[in-house]
Amino acid sequence: MEEIKSKIIERIKANFSDAKNKSYPGDRIDFSVNKETIPSILFYLKDEMGFKHLSHITCVDWLEENEFEVIFIIWSPLEKLKVFVRTRLDRDNPVMDNIDVIWRQAHTYEREMREMFGIQFNGLEAPQDFLLEDWEGMPPMRRDFDTEGYAAETFFERPGREDAKDVREILTERSGEIVPDFAKKYSR
Amino acid sequence: MMNDKNSQKIVDIIQNYARLHSLFVLAYGTGCGAIEIPPTMTSRYDAERFGIRGAATPRQADVLLITGYLTTKTLKRVIRVYEQMQDPKYVIGFGSCTINGGMYWDSYNTIKVLDKYLPVDVYINGCMPRPEAVIAGFVKLQSLIREGKAEGAKLYKDNLEQYRENQKKVIPNWVMPEYNW
Ligand code: SF4
Repeated sequence: MEEIKSKIIERIKANFSDAKNKSYPGDRIDFSVNKETIPSILFYLKDEMGFKHLSHITCVDWLEENEFEVIFIIWSPLEKLKVFVRTRLDRDNPVMDNIDVIWRQAHTYEREMREMFGIQFNGLEAPQDFLLEDWEGMPPMRRDFDTEGYAAETFFERPGREDAKDVREILTERSGEIVPDFAKKYSR
Repeated sequence: MMNDKNSQKIVDIIQNYARLHSLFVLAYGTGCGAIEIPPTMTSRYDAERFGIRGAATPRQADVLLITGYLTTKTLKRVIRVYEQMQDPKYVIGFGSCTINGGMYWDSYNTIKVLDKYLPVDVYINGCMPRPEAVIAGFVKLQSLIREGKAEGAKLYKDNLEQYRENQKKVIPNWVMPEYNW
Protein backbone atom coordinates (compact mmCIF):
# COMPACT_ATOMS: atom_id res chain seq x y z
CA MET A 1 0.00 0.00 0.00
CA GLU A 2 2.83 2.40 0.83
CA GLU A 3 4.07 2.03 -2.74
CA ILE A 4 0.75 2.97 -4.24
CA LYS A 5 0.44 5.80 -1.79
CA SER A 6 3.77 7.33 -2.71
CA LYS A 7 3.00 6.89 -6.40
CA ILE A 8 -0.23 8.81 -5.98
CA ILE A 9 1.50 11.53 -3.99
CA GLU A 10 4.14 11.89 -6.66
CA ARG A 11 1.64 12.13 -9.44
CA ILE A 12 -0.42 14.74 -7.64
CA LYS A 13 2.67 16.77 -6.77
CA ALA A 14 3.86 16.68 -10.37
CA ASN A 15 0.51 17.93 -11.62
CA PHE A 16 -0.39 20.44 -8.92
CA SER A 17 2.49 22.57 -7.78
CA ASP A 18 0.66 23.97 -4.75
CA ALA A 19 -0.30 20.59 -3.28
CA LYS A 20 1.38 20.00 0.06
CA ASN A 21 1.38 16.49 1.42
CA LYS A 22 1.36 15.49 5.05
CA SER A 23 1.96 11.85 5.74
CA TYR A 24 -0.40 9.76 7.80
CA PRO A 25 -0.19 6.06 8.54
CA GLY A 26 -2.73 3.61 7.15
CA ASP A 27 -4.95 4.13 4.16
CA ARG A 28 -4.99 7.90 4.34
CA ILE A 29 -3.39 10.46 2.04
CA ASP A 30 -3.58 14.12 2.85
CA PHE A 31 -3.17 17.16 0.60
CA SER A 32 -3.48 20.85 1.30
CA VAL A 33 -4.09 23.04 -1.72
CA ASN A 34 -5.14 26.56 -2.59
CA LYS A 35 -8.84 27.05 -3.00
CA GLU A 36 -8.48 27.79 -6.73
CA THR A 37 -7.05 24.31 -7.31
CA ILE A 38 -9.90 22.44 -5.65
CA PRO A 39 -12.08 21.72 -8.71
CA SER A 40 -9.16 20.63 -10.87
CA ILE A 41 -7.51 18.41 -8.24
CA LEU A 42 -10.80 16.71 -7.41
CA PHE A 43 -11.57 16.25 -11.08
CA TYR A 44 -8.13 14.79 -11.63
CA LEU A 45 -8.42 12.42 -8.68
CA LYS A 46 -11.81 11.25 -9.80
CA ASP A 47 -11.22 10.81 -13.51
CA GLU A 48 -7.57 9.87 -13.70
CA MET A 49 -6.88 8.06 -10.45
CA GLY A 50 -10.07 6.22 -9.64
CA PHE A 51 -11.18 8.09 -6.54
CA LYS A 52 -14.78 7.73 -7.57
CA HIS A 53 -16.55 8.14 -4.29
CA LEU A 54 -17.10 11.35 -2.38
CA SER A 55 -17.39 10.32 1.26
CA HIS A 56 -17.76 13.63 2.94
CA ILE A 57 -17.18 17.35 2.83
CA THR A 58 -16.71 19.07 6.10
CA CYS A 59 -15.62 22.35 7.50
CA VAL A 60 -13.45 23.29 10.46
CA ASP A 61 -13.61 26.73 12.00
CA TRP A 62 -10.11 27.92 12.91
CA LEU A 63 -11.26 30.96 14.80
CA GLU A 64 -7.83 31.83 16.19
CA GLU A 65 -6.31 31.90 12.71
CA ASN A 66 -9.35 33.62 11.22
CA GLU A 67 -9.78 30.88 8.64
CA PHE A 68 -12.17 28.14 7.63
CA GLU A 69 -10.78 24.82 6.51
CA VAL A 70 -12.89 22.88 4.04
CA ILE A 71 -12.01 19.20 3.79
CA PHE A 72 -13.05 16.86 1.00
CA ILE A 73 -12.77 13.17 1.77
CA ILE A 74 -12.79 10.90 -1.25
CA TRP A 75 -12.39 7.18 -1.53
CA SER A 76 -11.03 4.80 -4.13
CA PRO A 77 -12.84 1.47 -4.12
CA LEU A 78 -10.10 -0.07 -6.26
CA GLU A 79 -7.09 0.84 -4.16
CA LYS A 80 -8.99 1.01 -0.86
CA LEU A 81 -7.42 4.36 -0.11
CA LYS A 82 -8.88 7.65 0.97
CA VAL A 83 -7.66 11.09 0.13
CA PHE A 84 -8.23 14.18 2.23
CA VAL A 85 -8.06 17.39 0.24
CA ARG A 86 -7.96 20.46 2.42
CA THR A 87 -8.16 24.11 1.63
CA ARG A 88 -8.21 27.23 3.74
CA LEU A 89 -10.61 30.13 3.25
CA ASP A 90 -10.51 33.60 4.66
CA ARG A 91 -13.02 33.72 7.48
CA ASP A 92 -14.17 37.24 6.67
CA ASN A 93 -14.93 36.44 3.07
CA PRO A 94 -15.36 32.68 2.69
CA VAL A 95 -15.98 32.08 -0.99
CA MET A 96 -15.01 29.05 -3.03
CA ASP A 97 -16.01 27.15 -6.16
CA ASN A 98 -18.89 24.82 -6.12
CA ILE A 99 -18.02 21.27 -7.17
CA ASP A 100 -21.43 19.75 -7.68
CA VAL A 101 -20.64 19.16 -11.36
CA ILE A 102 -18.07 16.60 -10.25
CA TRP A 103 -20.21 14.85 -7.65
CA ARG A 104 -23.88 15.66 -7.62
CA GLN A 105 -24.17 14.81 -3.93
CA ALA A 106 -21.73 17.57 -3.03
CA HIS A 107 -24.71 19.85 -3.46
CA THR A 108 -26.18 18.72 -0.13
CA TYR A 109 -22.97 19.24 1.81
CA GLU A 110 -22.46 22.63 0.24
CA ARG A 111 -25.91 23.76 1.16
CA GLU A 112 -25.35 22.65 4.71
CA MET A 113 -22.01 24.44 4.95
CA ARG A 114 -23.49 27.57 3.47
CA GLU A 115 -26.20 27.53 6.09
CA MET A 116 -24.18 26.45 9.11
CA PHE A 117 -20.90 28.30 8.45
CA GLY A 118 -21.86 30.95 5.92
CA ILE A 119 -19.44 29.74 3.23
CA GLN A 120 -20.51 30.92 -0.20
CA PHE A 121 -20.11 28.56 -3.13
CA ASN A 122 -19.92 30.22 -6.54
CA GLY A 123 -22.72 29.02 -8.74
CA LEU A 124 -24.51 26.90 -6.18
CA GLU A 125 -28.11 26.89 -7.29
CA ALA A 126 -30.30 26.10 -4.33
CA PRO A 127 -32.67 27.94 -2.06
CA GLN A 128 -31.02 29.53 0.93
CA ASP A 129 -32.90 27.54 3.55
CA PHE A 130 -31.86 23.95 4.07
CA LEU A 131 -32.14 22.62 7.60
CA LEU A 132 -32.96 25.85 9.33
CA GLU A 133 -35.96 27.95 8.54
CA ASP A 134 -35.91 31.73 8.32
CA TRP A 135 -32.58 31.97 10.08
CA GLU A 136 -31.19 35.44 10.46
CA GLY A 137 -27.89 36.58 11.83
CA MET A 138 -24.69 34.65 12.35
CA PRO A 139 -24.65 31.04 11.07
CA PRO A 140 -25.02 28.84 14.14
CA MET A 141 -22.04 26.51 13.70
CA ARG A 142 -19.45 29.25 13.77
CA ARG A 143 -17.48 29.04 16.94
CA ASP A 144 -18.06 32.63 17.92
CA PHE A 145 -21.83 32.16 17.78
CA ASP A 146 -23.12 32.37 21.33
CA THR A 147 -25.38 29.32 21.41
CA GLU A 148 -26.23 29.49 25.06
CA GLY A 149 -26.96 33.20 24.94
CA TYR A 150 -29.13 32.75 21.90
CA ALA A 151 -31.07 29.89 23.50
CA ALA A 152 -31.56 31.83 26.73
CA GLU A 153 -32.83 34.83 24.85
CA THR A 154 -35.09 33.02 22.39
CA PHE A 155 -36.59 30.16 24.36
CA PHE A 156 -38.31 29.93 27.69
CA GLU A 157 -36.62 28.28 30.57
CA ARG A 158 -38.19 26.20 33.26
CA PRO A 159 -36.98 27.17 36.69
CA GLY A 160 -35.11 24.53 38.64
CA ARG A 161 -32.19 23.64 36.46
CA GLU A 162 -30.04 26.71 36.82
CA ASP A 163 -27.07 24.63 37.86
CA ALA A 164 -27.02 23.05 34.42
CA LYS A 165 -25.63 26.33 33.20
CA ASP A 166 -22.23 26.02 34.74
CA VAL A 167 -21.98 22.29 34.99
CA ARG A 168 -18.25 22.57 34.48
CA GLU A 169 -17.79 24.79 37.50
CA ILE A 170 -20.08 22.55 39.53
CA LEU A 171 -17.92 19.60 38.58
CA THR A 172 -14.84 21.48 39.65
CA GLU A 173 -16.43 22.27 42.98
CA ARG A 174 -17.54 18.71 43.58
CA SER A 175 -14.54 16.76 42.44
CA GLY A 176 -11.73 19.26 42.12
CA GLU A 177 -11.41 18.46 38.44
CA ILE A 178 -9.82 21.36 36.58
CA VAL A 179 -11.71 22.64 33.55
CA PRO A 180 -9.29 23.10 30.65
CA ASP A 181 -8.94 26.64 29.39
CA PHE A 182 -9.92 25.89 25.80
CA ALA A 183 -13.25 24.56 27.03
CA LYS A 184 -13.97 27.79 28.87
CA LYS A 185 -12.78 30.22 26.31
CA TYR A 186 -15.29 29.84 23.52
CA SER A 187 -18.07 27.97 25.20
CA ARG A 188 -19.63 31.06 26.72
CA MET B 1 -68.05 6.15 40.18
CA MET B 2 -65.40 8.53 41.35
CA ASN B 3 -66.98 11.53 39.73
CA ASP B 4 -67.87 14.64 41.55
CA LYS B 5 -71.53 14.73 40.57
CA ASN B 6 -71.91 18.39 41.42
CA SER B 7 -69.54 19.60 38.78
CA GLN B 8 -70.27 17.08 36.03
CA LYS B 9 -73.61 16.58 34.42
CA ILE B 10 -74.67 13.06 33.60
CA VAL B 11 -74.08 13.82 29.92
CA ASP B 12 -70.50 14.76 30.68
CA ILE B 13 -69.97 11.57 32.59
CA ILE B 14 -71.19 9.46 29.71
CA GLN B 15 -69.24 11.52 27.21
CA ASN B 16 -66.04 11.33 29.21
CA TYR B 17 -66.50 7.60 29.72
CA ALA B 18 -66.74 7.13 25.98
CA ARG B 19 -63.81 9.42 25.29
CA LEU B 20 -61.40 7.88 27.71
CA HIS B 21 -61.87 4.42 26.29
CA SER B 22 -61.14 5.38 22.70
CA LEU B 23 -58.04 7.49 22.56
CA PHE B 24 -56.96 7.72 18.96
CA VAL B 25 -53.34 8.72 18.76
CA LEU B 26 -52.03 10.65 15.81
CA ALA B 27 -49.22 8.75 14.15
CA TYR B 28 -46.73 11.60 14.26
CA GLY B 29 -43.34 11.39 15.86
CA THR B 30 -40.66 13.92 16.65
CA GLY B 31 -37.37 13.43 18.41
CA CYS B 32 -36.24 10.11 19.82
CA GLY B 33 -39.55 9.03 21.31
CA ALA B 34 -41.28 7.84 18.18
CA ILE B 35 -39.31 4.62 18.55
CA GLU B 36 -41.09 3.88 21.84
CA ILE B 37 -44.48 3.88 20.18
CA PRO B 38 -44.24 0.62 18.17
CA PRO B 39 -43.46 -1.52 21.27
CA THR B 40 -46.22 0.28 23.17
CA MET B 41 -48.73 -0.50 20.47
CA THR B 42 -47.67 -4.02 19.58
CA SER B 43 -48.21 -7.30 21.35
CA ARG B 44 -45.78 -7.03 24.25
CA TYR B 45 -47.34 -3.98 25.89
CA ASP B 46 -50.51 -3.91 23.81
CA ALA B 47 -51.83 -0.43 24.46
CA GLU B 48 -55.05 -1.28 22.69
CA ARG B 49 -56.19 -2.89 25.95
CA PHE B 50 -56.76 0.69 27.08
CA GLY B 51 -58.48 1.74 23.91
CA ILE B 52 -55.36 3.47 22.63
CA ARG B 53 -54.74 3.10 18.95
CA GLY B 54 -53.34 4.93 15.99
CA ALA B 55 -55.09 7.35 13.70
CA ALA B 56 -53.85 8.40 10.32
CA THR B 57 -54.86 12.03 10.08
CA PRO B 58 -55.17 14.92 12.53
CA ARG B 59 -58.90 15.19 12.01
CA GLN B 60 -59.46 11.65 13.19
CA ALA B 61 -57.16 11.86 16.18
CA ASP B 62 -57.75 12.74 19.82
CA VAL B 63 -54.25 12.65 21.20
CA LEU B 64 -51.17 14.40 19.90
CA LEU B 65 -47.93 12.95 21.20
CA ILE B 66 -44.92 15.21 21.24
CA THR B 67 -42.32 12.50 21.45
CA GLY B 68 -39.21 14.43 22.30
CA TYR B 69 -37.36 17.57 21.35
CA LEU B 70 -39.11 19.97 19.01
CA THR B 71 -37.15 22.13 16.65
CA THR B 72 -38.66 25.46 15.79
CA LYS B 73 -39.16 24.16 12.27
CA THR B 74 -41.16 21.19 13.51
CA LEU B 75 -43.04 23.32 16.01
CA LYS B 76 -44.60 25.18 13.12
CA ARG B 77 -45.96 21.92 11.69
CA VAL B 78 -47.06 20.67 15.07
CA ILE B 79 -49.07 23.82 15.74
CA ARG B 80 -50.71 23.41 12.37
CA VAL B 81 -51.53 19.80 13.18
CA TYR B 82 -52.84 20.62 16.61
CA GLU B 83 -55.13 23.29 15.30
CA GLN B 84 -56.56 20.94 12.71
CA MET B 85 -57.51 18.36 15.30
CA GLN B 86 -61.10 18.28 16.39
CA ASP B 87 -62.29 18.63 19.93
CA PRO B 88 -61.80 16.71 22.20
CA LYS B 89 -58.03 16.81 21.85
CA TYR B 90 -55.21 16.20 24.26
CA VAL B 91 -51.46 16.65 24.18
CA ILE B 92 -48.95 14.41 25.89
CA GLY B 93 -45.35 15.57 26.19
CA PHE B 94 -42.72 12.83 26.28
CA GLY B 95 -39.34 13.06 27.87
CA SER B 96 -37.27 15.71 29.51
CA CYS B 97 -36.80 17.57 26.24
CA THR B 98 -40.40 18.71 26.23
CA ILE B 99 -40.36 19.47 29.94
CA ASN B 100 -37.25 21.58 30.35
CA GLY B 101 -35.08 21.15 27.30
CA GLY B 102 -33.34 17.97 28.42
CA MET B 103 -29.96 17.53 26.87
CA TYR B 104 -30.82 20.20 24.29
CA TRP B 105 -31.09 22.92 26.90
CA ASP B 106 -28.59 25.16 25.10
CA SER B 107 -29.47 24.30 21.53
CA TYR B 108 -30.07 27.12 19.07
CA ASN B 109 -33.11 25.59 17.45
CA THR B 110 -35.11 23.48 19.88
CA ILE B 111 -37.76 24.86 22.18
CA LYS B 112 -37.41 24.05 25.84
CA VAL B 113 -40.77 24.41 27.55
CA LEU B 114 -43.52 22.88 25.46
CA ASP B 115 -46.44 24.14 27.51
CA LYS B 116 -45.64 27.72 26.53
CA TYR B 117 -46.53 26.86 22.95
CA LEU B 118 -49.18 24.16 23.21
CA PRO B 119 -51.43 23.18 26.11
CA VAL B 120 -50.00 19.97 27.54
CA ASP B 121 -52.29 17.70 29.54
CA VAL B 122 -49.79 15.13 30.71
CA TYR B 123 -46.02 15.06 30.82
CA ILE B 124 -44.16 11.78 30.99
CA ASN B 125 -40.64 12.18 32.22
CA GLY B 126 -37.65 10.09 31.32
CA CYS B 127 -35.14 10.19 28.53
CA MET B 128 -36.83 8.37 26.85
CA PRO B 129 -39.80 6.99 28.88
CA ARG B 130 -40.17 3.26 28.48
CA PRO B 131 -43.47 1.77 27.26
CA GLU B 132 -44.56 1.14 30.87
CA ALA B 133 -44.17 4.82 31.61
CA VAL B 134 -45.95 5.71 28.40
CA ILE B 135 -48.90 3.53 29.39
CA ALA B 136 -48.86 5.04 32.88
CA GLY B 137 -49.06 8.45 31.23
CA PHE B 138 -52.03 7.38 29.18
CA VAL B 139 -53.77 6.01 32.25
CA LYS B 140 -53.15 9.33 33.97
CA LEU B 141 -54.69 11.10 30.99
CA GLN B 142 -57.69 8.79 31.19
CA SER B 143 -58.23 9.56 34.83
CA LEU B 144 -57.99 13.28 34.07
CA ILE B 145 -60.61 12.87 31.37
CA ARG B 146 -62.82 10.92 33.72
CA GLU B 147 -62.65 13.74 36.24
CA GLY B 148 -63.25 16.29 33.50
CA LYS B 149 -59.90 17.95 34.10
CA ALA B 150 -58.23 17.44 30.74
CA GLU B 151 -59.08 20.89 29.52
CA GLY B 152 -56.10 21.62 27.30
CA ALA B 153 -58.10 22.56 24.25
CA LYS B 154 -60.21 25.00 26.25
CA LEU B 155 -57.09 26.51 27.75
CA TYR B 156 -55.70 27.01 24.28
CA LYS B 157 -58.89 28.63 23.07
CA ASP B 158 -59.06 30.99 26.04
CA ASN B 159 -55.40 31.98 25.97
CA LEU B 160 -54.93 31.89 22.22
CA GLU B 161 -53.33 35.33 22.13
CA GLN B 162 -50.77 34.42 24.73
CA TYR B 163 -49.89 31.19 22.93
CA ARG B 164 -49.72 32.96 19.59
CA GLU B 165 -47.36 35.52 20.97
CA ASN B 166 -45.02 32.84 22.25
CA GLN B 167 -45.27 30.88 19.02
CA LYS B 168 -44.55 33.89 16.86
CA LYS B 169 -41.52 34.67 18.96
CA VAL B 170 -39.76 31.55 17.69
CA ILE B 171 -41.43 31.37 14.27
CA PRO B 172 -40.60 34.71 12.66
CA ASN B 173 -42.15 34.01 9.28
CA TRP B 174 -45.70 33.16 10.23
CA VAL B 175 -47.47 32.15 7.02
CA MET B 176 -50.18 29.96 8.47
CA PRO B 177 -53.89 30.44 8.16
CA GLU B 178 -55.55 31.73 11.28
CA TYR B 179 -57.55 28.92 12.73
CA ASN B 180 -61.26 29.36 12.66
CA TRP B 181 -62.61 28.11 15.96
S1 SF4 C 1 -35.82 13.35 26.34
FE1 SF4 C 1 -34.02 12.16 25.72
S2 SF4 C 1 -34.84 10.50 24.46
FE2 SF4 C 1 -36.41 12.11 24.59
S3 SF4 C 1 -36.12 13.41 22.81
FE3 SF4 C 1 -34.97 14.31 24.50
S4 SF4 C 1 -32.91 13.44 24.29
FE4 SF4 C 1 -34.27 12.16 23.07
